[in-house]
Amino acid sequence: MNPTAFELWLKSTWLADLMHTAWAWPTAESLHFFGLCLLMGTVGVFDLRLIGLAKQIPLPALHRLIPFGIGGFIINILTGISFFTAEPDQYLYNPSFHTKMLFMTLAGINVLLFYTTMFKKVQNCGPGDQAPMPARIMGAASLVFWIGVISGGRLLTFFRPPIISCPWCWFS
Amino acid sequence: MDWYSFFSWIENSALGVWMRESPSLWAFPFILILHTIGMAFLVGPNIAIDLRILGVAPRVPASLMERFFVVMKLGFVINVVSGLMLLVAYPTKALTNPLFYIKLLLIAIALTQTMWIRKNVLSADSFPFKGKVVAAASLVIWAAAVGAGRFLAYTYKYLLAGELL
Repeated sequence: MNPTAFELWLKSTWLADLMHTAWAWPTAESLHFFGLCLLMGTVGVFDLRLIGLAKQIPLPALHRLIPFGIGGFIINILTGISFFTAEPDQYLYNPSFHTKMLFMTLAGINVLLFYTTMFKKVQNCGPGDQAPMPARIMGAASLVFWIGVISGGRLLTFFRPPIISCPWCWFS
Repeated sequence: MDWYSFFSWIENSALGVWMRESPSLWAFPFILILHTIGMAFLVGPNIAIDLRILGVAPRVPASLMERFFVVMKLGFVINVVSGLMLLVAYPTKALTNPLFYIKLLLIAIALTQTMWIRKNVLSADSFPFKGKVVAAASLVIWAAAVGAGRFLAYTYKYLLAGELL
């Protein structure tokens, strides 16, 4: 399927129709921003503790907040897919969206790295314990990547296609 | 001075013109990004504190969550400054929309609740039923404040002062 056919198909779905009703888009935006707050309030707070803020809080105890961050992330994937489905060309050919996806990929790789290499060690970080250096770096990287995701998202409307600096457009 | 003169005076200030008309990403787009990051650091840890009071992550000593107020204060300061800059760029758009005042009211209520929680729940490290009610309300009010902010982009009636004439 070529990109244009894919876009046309997305735009013909019931979800695209729903998103074009008066309240759907702003409501989904509101949910998207609340999901962002949930993610940054749990994962971001955990990252800050990894880096060294509020060191008296035992890290495993704070990790219990993470499921709510995952919940926020799921809200944002669902609302994000809804935006994309309604206006695919506004995202597919938007360099700001590509940047946002790049930062999300980096954040994802960072999460995988953290849980495969550092999670067990961090489970032993009780009150006053500093997290190991690689974990501290991953915490800082996580904050940087998520701020990158937010920035890419906020810049979407300022890079509305058509725009030339878009690698996808060369193939379509 | 009538509203038109007041709004157009702000719109035509050096800051207002720069925010609105500069093609630089460091003008309006960057300030908008800051406003969102500030929100994340103000509302985010607030949600974490509310969740803790409601019983999530019970092994986190509540009194230690006060340490996150540094981050929340930073987020608040970023948002007052960036918010004022966005307001100077489009005073008519914001100030002629009733939802803008509702947003400010919601933020005032949410911040009052947060300070109450800090004093009566976190510092005391005790979780009275009243504290849980305020924490639950805090989640709702913050969500409403964030939603109100988002709806501002879709509900304004006049963008610039000239439309009032």
